This record gives sequence, structure tokens and C-alpha cells, in this order.
Amino acid sequence: MYFFANVMQVLALLCALVCGCTALYALLGGKRSFASATNDDAWARQLEKGHWIVTGALLLASALLLHALYWRDYSLQYVASYTDNILPEFYRLTAFWAGQPGSMLFWALAVSVSGSLFARTRACKTLRPAVRLWYWAFFYAIMAFFTLVLTVWSNPFVTHSPVPADGNGLNPLLQNPGMIFHPPLLFLGYGGFTVPACLALAQTLAGRDDQSEVPWFRLARPFMLTAWIFLTAGIVLGAWWAYMELGWGGYWAWDPVENASLIPWLVGTASLHTLIVEERRDKLRRVNVCMMALTTISAFFATYIVRSGVIESVHAFGDSPVGVPLLVFIVVALVVAFLTAAFAPRAGKPLAALESREGMLTLVAWILLALAAIILLATMWPVLSALWMDAPRGLDAAFYNRVCLPLGAALMLFMAVCPWFAWDGGLRRKKIFLAAAGVFVIAAASLWNLGYRQFTPQITAAASITIIFGVLLLLKEHGFRRPVFLGAWGAHLGMALMALGIAFSGPYAEEQDMMLARGESGKIGEYTATLQEITGGRATGYEFITGRLQISKNDEMVGVVAPQRRIYDKFGTMQFSEVDVIPSLGDEIYASLLGLDNDMRVMVRVSVKPLVNWLWIGGTLLCLFPLVSLFGRGRTAAAAEKAVEAAVEEIASKAAPVRKIRRKRRK
Amino acid sequence: MAREKNTPVYVAALLLFLGGVGFLAFSAFTENSVYFLNVSEAKAVSPDKLTAARLFGAVSDQGIEKHSAGTGVTFHLQDKDNAAQVIVVSYSGAVPDTFKGGAEVIVEGGMGADGRFMARTLMTKCPSKYQKENRKI
Repeated sequence: MYFFANVMQVLALLCALVCGCTALYALLGGKRSFASATNDDAWARQLEKGHWIVTGALLLASALLLHALYWRDYSLQYVASYTDNILPEFYRLTAFWAGQPGSMLFWALAVSVSGSLFARTRACKTLRPAVRLWYWAFFYAIMAFFTLVLTVWSNPFVTHSPVPADGNGLNPLLQNPGMIFHPPLLFLGYGGFTVPACLALAQTLAGRDDQSEVPWFRLARPFMLTAWIFLTAGIVLGAWWAYMELGWGGYWAWDPVENASLIPWLVGTASLHTLIVEERRDKLRRVNVCMMALTTISAFFATYIVRSGVIESVHAFGDSPVGVPLLVFIVVALVVAFLTAAFAPRAGKPLAALESREGMLTLVAWILLALAAIILLATMWPVLSALWMDAPRGLDAAFYNRVCLPLGAALMLFMAVCPWFAWDGGLRRKKIFLAAAGVFVIAAASLWNLGYRQFTPQITAAASITIIFGVLLLLKEHGFRRPVFLGAWGAHLGMALMALGIAFSGPYAEEQDMMLARGESGKIGEYTATLQEITGGRATGYEFITGRLQISKNDEMVGVVAPQRRIYDKFGTMQFSEVDVIPSLGDEIYASLLGLDNDMRVMVRVSVKPLVNWLWIGGTLLCLFPLVSLFGRGRTAAAAEKAVEAAVEEIASKAAPVRKIRRKRRK
Repeated sequence: MAREKNTPVYVAALLLFLGGVGFLAFSAFTENSVYFLNVSEAKAVSPDKLTAARLFGAVSDQGIEKHSAGTGVTFHLQDKDNAAQVIVVSYSGAVPDTFKGGAEVIVEGGMGADGRFMARTLMTKCPSKYQKENRKI
């Protein structure tokens, strides 16, 4: 049966190779013999059909893997490695992406399906044949790479004998819905950027024709936004899981694997912003081709960091042979992308002055790219520094906090002022800008008064408050009627709330490890934690000890936390910490039980995390609001066109005479 | 044309920006970089240079001593590939759930005068689903 699965993977590989080469042949070698556009069209149609074979073959292979996981067929190495007899069905099926070969198959399937979906859209049909041929040449190249990795280096369908009676099982820490959906969201995010990138390169190589067809970024916008939403959701969910499940009290440790997912997010976010300049003003054309390709390539690079074992990480992923092929692929893709953009004709118009909306968006993109570059360099530093130093050196969390947080604060400042600048330069709405500046000053002064005096967090928090003020004002004016604006400004609102959460819960968190006997209490900031009782017992599947702590502030009872330590029957002597919190939109009390000594004293870690929940609220808004612009905008090119027209009107309506009329109307 | 007018401004801004970010990154690079070493590599470096380092290795089954006062543990950190290469690590603080003989750990700290590595942080590798849990004792 797994012979059939292997055949499917090889079939997908061959099909991708043949179709990719055919596309190139039709474009380059075969131009003379099949010169006419109708012939190109016929070629493109056939190639589009070929993609259904690739998608179909990968779907069948995936179905076979799911079948094997469900029926616990331990003759597959993969199934034996990640499941066991007692694992529930849900976790058995989600083990599809639990290991490297399976996650590669999942990623390949996601990319393939998104490619086939794009082929089904009306947008794709409106493209000229030459653009479609180039698009398929790139897309098949990527599919060929994926299927090559699957068949040669990372095959989920490797069998072994003798067949074990039971598998290795999945760690209890990972048997959590939050953790189960974190990896596939990231993979869907990484994969979703492929269609826009291929389309950008294709339209550039075929020569852009603005009269006869819609530009790539408008066609691919739904794909790009969806991918960005998935990636954002994956990162936020991962952080939340780390905070609630791991019990170390933080949500971001600047570990290489975390950094790897942040790099494509930063580059992708920068692309979204430079694309606004092209969409509204028809500028930065070549830059955007580069940015889009870079987004996709950085997603591949994230996989390289995670999968190659080149960097030591807290996450044990292990070495694997896919590192070298991935690196080769990345280098080739970079060269192709930059050559394509470099040789494209200069068609866009020059940028307006720096103090314009265009200039601000460019600066924002610089900051995001600088953050990505610094994180990339710092993550790879142990490898790079080993080239000339006696021993490899790396960078700790303090480095990232010192460099990235000020840049983040600068980013928030730009977000706060950008909406009040005009596209062509200068202030668009001076009064509101002054009001925003007032809000910023008042916020900063109030924070100083309240004793929050660390410079970077203070600036970040004040800027975030200013952004919230600005967004609410903009939404009140016209956001709710226009889904595009609602999506974009809503995402900014989410980001501002997240920044507010980070600016307080990071630097102003208080944490205390306490050794307490029953009745004893310890102080943490303004709070007092008193150990009420220690209980032990059994629940289904595990034994536990619970420490009940009463938390009070100035002799007033705040609540009770009861963190646990558990020993699961199936996992030997390993202990697991179960965090407990007193949720609050202000100070959240977070407690984990670290241990119990022979004198019946417990070691507890109690933390006060100011405003931490705004991080999760903001993160949720950041993922949900862009959905509004996705669906509100309509998926077809025609609807996108309308939206652009509306945007042009919007710009026109900002002109001074119109504003006067509006003011009259208000009276 | 606007390009001529604005290009110098953008170039100047970019240089200023890169200069600022470069300075910030460089100063942090020099102050916050620490050695990232396996046990065998750490043994090859002279101890006085190991004032700030992050070591990667596995916990030896022998010699795990829980501190009697407070929390903490002293253990032998062995090289992942060569179990004969060992450094004694002393760590004060909460010991992670997954710490045990055979576990792969990461410690941060500095080499003390007595040849013990005084660890400020002790992290066990996340028992990720990406690696099968078969590193039995």
C-alpha cells in the first residue's frame, strides 16, 4: 500500500518536472515554432490541468498517511515514531504534521492546493498566456523541489521491520489543542506566500501590461492576506501556549526557532506596506517584486533554521538531511528573484518627499526589514562567528531586547503619525495631528507620573495609546463602511494593544520564587501570597500536588491560585507543571508550583504580569480584522478594481475644498 | 524631476538609519555576545575566557545532587557525542520539570574559580514532538 503512496509522490515529482520544463520550453526554446498567443494559451491550459495531477497525487499520499495514523500501522517508521496505542484519535490524526517528513508533506500539500485554487479563480483566467506560462514555470519548480525532498530526503512512507507492537507516543505537553494548531498555522502561512511570489516574478518577466491586465498584487492579495493571517495566528498561538502551558512565566524567549517564524512575518509585513505604495500610487514596482519574493524565501529560510540542525535551540528538532537542499534552493531562488527585479524596466514613478505618507511607509518597511536582518544575523551568529573566531559566540535574550525593542518603539511612533501625512507630502490634517501629538504627550506624562519611567516602554506605550486614538477616530469617520480600511486600521488597533501589553508585561513584571510552609506568606510587589494548604491526590491519568495560595493586596483579598504539579501515569517520573492565574485586564497573577521538599514546604513562583492579557486580545484582533478586508473586498479582480476606484475617490475627497463642504454638512 | 529632488534625502535618511541601527546592534553585539559551546569545545577553551557562556550537553546519570538548602542542583554535564568529556555544573534556582539523567540541557553562566560552571539559567530542551521521545536512561 505504501508503495502506492511512494508512487504518488514520485508521480507528483515527475509531473512537476515535466510541466515546469514544458513551460520553460514554450517560453524560451519553443517560442519560434509556437509563436502565436493562441498556442501559448493552449500550452498554459494544458499545464494548468497538469497541476491537478500534482495536487491529486499529494492529496492521495496525505490520505494514505492519515489512514496509517488512524489505524496505527506501525510498519511505517513515521507512525511508530509519533503515535502509540493509547493516543486518542484526534492527536493520532494531527500527528500528520508532528514530525518532519509529515510536516514537509503537509506544507507541500498546502502550497499545491493554494496553487490549484489560484488556477480556478477568474483572476488567473484574465492573465495573458505568457504570464501564466512563467507563473507555472516558477510554481512547478517549487513543487518539484518539495516533492524531491519528500521522495529523497524526508519521506514519510519509510517502512521498517520488525513491526513494533506499540509506538513511541506523543509528549503530554504537546497534547494540547493550542500546540496542535500552532505548527499547521505556521506552515499554511509559509506556504501561502508562494502564489503571490510566483505571480510577481511571472508578471515581471512577461513584461507588465497595465492596460490589459490587473497587476499581480491585486490578483494575489487574498492569498497574501490569508497567508499573513495564518502566520500571525500561528505566532500568537505559540506565544500563548508557551505562557499558559510551560510555566516559565514568559511568552517569548528569542529562541532560534521562535526567531525563525518571526523573520518571514517581519518581511511579509514590510511587503504589505510597500505594496500599499504601489497600489495607491503606482510606485516601488521593482522593490515590491523583490519584497514579495523575499517573503517567500524567508519562509523557506525559517524552515532551514528549524530543520537543518545548524543552530542549537531549546526546541529539539534534531539534525536532518534536508538542510543542504533547502540552502541550495534558497540561494538559487534569491539569485533568480533579484535578477528578475533588477532587469525589469523602471516603470514606477519616483517617491514623494520623506515627510509624506509614501515616505513614512518606506521608513516603516526599513524598520521591519532591519528588525528581520538583525534577528536573522543574531540567530545565525553562532555559525557565522565560528568562521573567524576561535570558538562560536552567540547572542542572548538581552541582545535582542536591547536592539529590537527600541526599533519596535520607533515603529509604533511611525504608526501613530503616518495616517496624518498626505500622500504627496506634508500634513494632511494638521488639527488632528496636533491632537494626536497632545494625546502622546499627555499619555507619556501620565505614565511618568504613575511611575512607569523606563524610556523605551514609555515611548511604546504612549505611541500605542496615540495609535488607538487615531484608529478610533479614523474608524468613526469612514472605516465601518469600507471593509479595506476597517481591516487595515483594525489590525493596527490590534498591534497597538499588543505593543501596550508587551510594554508593560515585559519590563514591569515582577517575579518571585518563594519557599513556603502552610500559613506562611511571601511578598511580591504590592501583593502578598499566603500558602493556605497543600493537597495531593489522583485524577484520571495522573497524580498531582496542589498548592493553594491566597493572594491579597493591602490586606484585601484578590483571589486564590492553585498551581499543580502532575505526574502522568504514562510518562514515568517526569513532572509537569500546571500553571494557574487570576486573569485580569490589569495585573494578572500567575503562579506555578516548582516543587515540594521533605519538610512539606513548597517552592512556588508567583508573578505579577501587568496588562499581559492585552497582548492576547490585541493578537486576536490582529488576526481577525484583516479577514474583514479579505471578505469585504471580494475575491475577484473586478471587485478589487472597484475598491481601488473607491480608494482613489477617498484620496480625492481629502482635498481641501471637499472638506469645507463636509464641514458645512456637519453644521 | 522629483527623483532628483528626493533621492539625496532618501539616501541621507537611509545612511542615518543604517548608522543608528548599526551602532545600536554593534554595541549590543560586543556587550551581549557569549560563547555558544558544546562541552568538548568548552574544555578546549581556557577557563578565564569562559566568564560568559552558553553550554550545550547532556546530563550525566551519575552525580546528580539536589542542593539541600533552597532549590538547585549540581550535576555532570557531558558532551553529547563524547561522554568522557564532562564539566561539573552548579545551578541555583528552580529546576525544570524535564530535568533528569540523559536529558539534553542548555546552561548559561560562567566558569567559577574552582573549575565548576556556575549556571544562572538551566533549560532542558523542549520535548518537541519533532523528535521521538526515545532517549531513555
